[in-house]
Amino acid sequence: MTTQQFFVSAWTWNTAPLVVSALALAAYAWAFGVNRRILYLIAGLSVFVLTLVSPLNALADGYLFSAHMLQHILLLLIVPALLLTSLPRCVSLGPRSSLLANPLAGWVAGVGAMWLWHARPLCNAAVSSKFVGWVQIFSLLVLGAIFWRQILAPREDERISPPAAVLYLFSACVACSILGILITFAPVRVCPIYAQPPADQSGVLNLIQAQWGVTPDKDQQIGGLLMWVPMCLVYLSAIIAQLARWFAHPVPVPPATEKAS
Amino acid sequence: MNPIPATITRLLTPAERQHWELAWLSTVDHKRIGVLYMVTGLVFFVAAGLEALFIRLQLAVPNNTLLSPDTYNWIFTMHGTTMIFLVAMPVLFGIANYVVPLQIGARDMAFPRLNAFGFWVVPFGGILLHFSFLAGGAPAVGWFAYAPLSETPFSSQLGVDYWAVSLLVLGIGSVSAGVNFIVTILTQRAPGMTLRRLPLFTWMIFCNSFLVILALPILNAGLVMLLIDRLLQGQFFLPFGGGSAIMWQHIFWAFGHPEVYIVAIPAFAILSEVIPVFSRKPIFGYEFVAASTVVIVLLSLLVWAHHMFTVGLGHTVDLFFVAASVLIAVPTGVKLFNWSATMVGGRLRFDTPMLFCIAALVQFLCGGLTGVSHAIAPLDWQTKNSYYLVAHFHFVFVGLIVFAMLGALYYWFPKMSGRMLSERLGKWTFWLMVVGFNLTFIIQHVLGLSGMPRRVYTYPDLPGWGWMNMLSTVGAFFMAAASILFVWNLLTSLLRGKVAGDNPWNAWTLEWATTSPPPPENFHALPPIRSRRPLWDYKNPHRADPVVPVKSALDSFRPEKNKAGVITFIISEAGFFGVLIIAFLFYNATPGRGPGAQELDVLKTSIFSVCLFASSFTIWRSEAGLHANKPWKMKAWLAATILLGGIFIVGQGLEYWSLYQSGVSVGLDLFATTFFTLTGFHGLHVCVGLIALLIVLGIALAGAFKNGHLPVLGPVGLYWHFVDVVWVFVFSVVYLWPLIR
Repeated sequence: MTTQQFFVSAWTWNTAPLVVSALALAAYAWAFGVNRRILYLIAGLSVFVLTLVSPLNALADGYLFSAHMLQHILLLLIVPALLLTSLPRCVSLGPRSSLLANPLAGWVAGVGAMWLWHARPLCNAAVSSKFVGWVQIFSLLVLGAIFWRQILAPREDERISPPAAVLYLFSACVACSILGILITFAPVRVCPIYAQPPADQSGVLNLIQAQWGVTPDKDQQIGGLLMWVPMCLVYLSAIIAQLARWFAHPVPVPPATEKAS
Repeated sequence: MNPIPATITRLLTPAERQHWELAWLSTVDHKRIGVLYMVTGLVFFVAAGLEALFIRLQLAVPNNTLLSPDTYNWIFTMHGTTMIFLVAMPVLFGIANYVVPLQIGARDMAFPRLNAFGFWVVPFGGILLHFSFLAGGAPAVGWFAYAPLSETPFSSQLGVDYWAVSLLVLGIGSVSAGVNFIVTILTQRAPGMTLRRLPLFTWMIFCNSFLVILALPILNAGLVMLLIDRLLQGQFFLPFGGGSAIMWQHIFWAFGHPEVYIVAIPAFAILSEVIPVFSRKPIFGYEFVAASTVVIVLLSLLVWAHHMFTVGLGHTVDLFFVAASVLIAVPTGVKLFNWSATMVGGRLRFDTPMLFCIAALVQFLCGGLTGVSHAIAPLDWQTKNSYYLVAHFHFVFVGLIVFAMLGALYYWFPKMSGRMLSERLGKWTFWLMVVGFNLTFIIQHVLGLSGMPRRVYTYPDLPGWGWMNMLSTVGAFFMAAASILFVWNLLTSLLRGKVAGDNPWNAWTLEWATTSPPPPENFHALPPIRSRRPLWDYKNPHRADPVVPVKSALDSFRPEKNKAGVITFIISEAGFFGVLIIAFLFYNATPGRGPGAQELDVLKTSIFSVCLFASSFTIWRSEAGLHANKPWKMKAWLAATILLGGIFIVGQGLEYWSLYQSGVSVGLDLFATTFFTLTGFHGLHVCVGLIALLIVLGIALAGAFKNGHLPVLGPVGLYWHFVDVVWVFVFSVVYLWPLIR
């Protein structure tokens, strides 16, 4: 099997994500009408569908820990963020006093999702059992939404202030980096199930190990590094947006040069 | 014209002149402490500069025998360590110490005594470091002290111990300074000085202080691990016992890369302050400069692995860090564009401060570009251990930082002394410095690319190497001449310089709104603060800057000083424990050969842990008693807290004793080393917390609080909660994790 053949053939046509996405789109159009923000929804749902039907999913299904990690990041950070952004500015996400609106709960949800699902038994179970796999996907989306709500809630008054948001995002980045660092350099398998990939009928394993040169050791390293570096860059991009929010002000251009006196 | 005595009168009051030594030694005034920092930095600059000259003399000709290999190793280690920890950091901290409270219209730093402490550990640490010369030889392991070279089997003399202890002392001082800057800027701002109106210098020192409190604890953790290896026969970085020498490099560069920015950001801050004033224009894009600083601070904590491309972490790791490291060029580039754009169309005045800042900008552009070239792993493989790298980081450390420091000293000296530095001598200093610097270091790029390795005491007579090195040495002597001229300028101008007046440069920030030198209380009255240039607004009421609006309550955020201090300190401490916990997890990922977690009595420790966790509850009740104005309740709960904490410590002591009885000591194996280090440092913090609680109880029993007012209980309580939370992590990792592993 060549790389090209693999990327053409390895699509897993799960119906569930497609149905869920279609329903979500319809529900959005029904509730808020079609406006410009629906583009964010379409983007979010596209990422969601691609994560679960594209060859990435085939790789994550027992072959590559790193592909699994990439799915994890997309589902936890990218999809919920786009979905939240798609909501019209006037939508309230519930009273400020609720537990879910507590910044600490948001932070624990976002960081906890990463740490919890990489505990060895859970990480294995998410691959070996279809049911746990779906629970994982669902929980990542929900926990991700709880995390991002502090930053991206449609209503300004339901978000935390920009300086607090910088601390919130950066501490989350550090907490995930630590896990990423441990996974990258750990002398043990984080998710041992990937060390025994499924029977190689279609030659995928051969493709990965011989042609791409990704051994199980390297695979775990890539997974850890994905969490350590690109994931932090997602948080960092959000931090830049927060800084823009903090310094944005409606002030005219100041007077230029001092006149010669 | 003021006569000389008048100036001296303004520096010291008549009463102080009776005992002027004491006026300086016992001072807690931020201005004097700032000056002390700078003078100390200058003294060590002379020492480290002489070391640099010896290095260049040794390398002037091929196969030179002026210095023995050992002496050469001592000298380049001491040169690097001294220049970074005893010159760059103290001088920049000193400038910030002097300027920041003035710029925000404050009377002093938030914690003046802590400020004095932060300064006094600098000479103490410096003397400790240099004492190693008398104690059997200076460290000879480079400023990064790579393990296992820095371990006892390879460096058996005391040099490395002195190096580690002195850096630990200096690190503690730096953290205290960082905490102080953060709390000062948060709590001591004048009315109207909102967070969005801070002058860029102050804003950047604020951001930088976060870097200080986050990065220095990483080094401190590494240093205590190294010291435990060396003094208690620990196993952290010794490969024979399963330790990891690479771990030291990770820890060192996780600190070392931010450290570059810890000294570079104040230099950026100086440029952002001086360039607008001498261009007669407000800074171009304040928001971009301010925001890119935050981005630099955060990115710099993430990309240390690019210092380790040649270690052999693997292509995968290298690839990720190439990408992340190249990104740093973006926020830095934003700054360069902003400074340049500030000068475009301005009415430039080329006084000495501006000259130095322009030179810093140009030299940093070159140094930054060679820096990007090092971010590319394949190129880095070729040039890492060559003079190309030496040239690169000297372009940053001298070209940017020293030039910016000189610019800052020329700029603020009139404020500090009341007298101008000589412009004529200043221009001489500038040109000698710039010519000397470029002579010394441009050629080293070529030397490096033609293969001359760094850290080697001499070199063979290869074609071209001799004259290039000679040129470099000649350049170094130009810089030495410039330095002598600079010191001469400082001394003569202090006595006979032109009187400066309050605002010689016609600048716009608040430090120029008071006399030169400022009175002990800094200001008699402040102009109204509505924008980032209050003095410009005051002098040009009809052409004032647009008001920077107050958008939210956060703009005038002003937390309680002691609580803010403790929280900032806790952030720093969390970094320290973070490193120790990660090290424990890493080293114990697989059960070792010797005694391990099975030796621990989880049940017994759980009982003691419950006592510690319960003490969080009791201190909370104690505070509630205080707020309810029931002193006896507060005292009783406080005593209960101390009792519970004491039980925990005794329990831990018993556990240590039984382990020791069964032959488990620090140096036994990797588990023992990591176990005793992690739990021991936690225990140490519990003891410190207990002492603080006992002091609070003492104050309470003496009845020294009235009307339910005992401001220390809150901060001490916060610290105590922190100690308990750390134990949650330590207990889970050390005792519970092995059960499920």
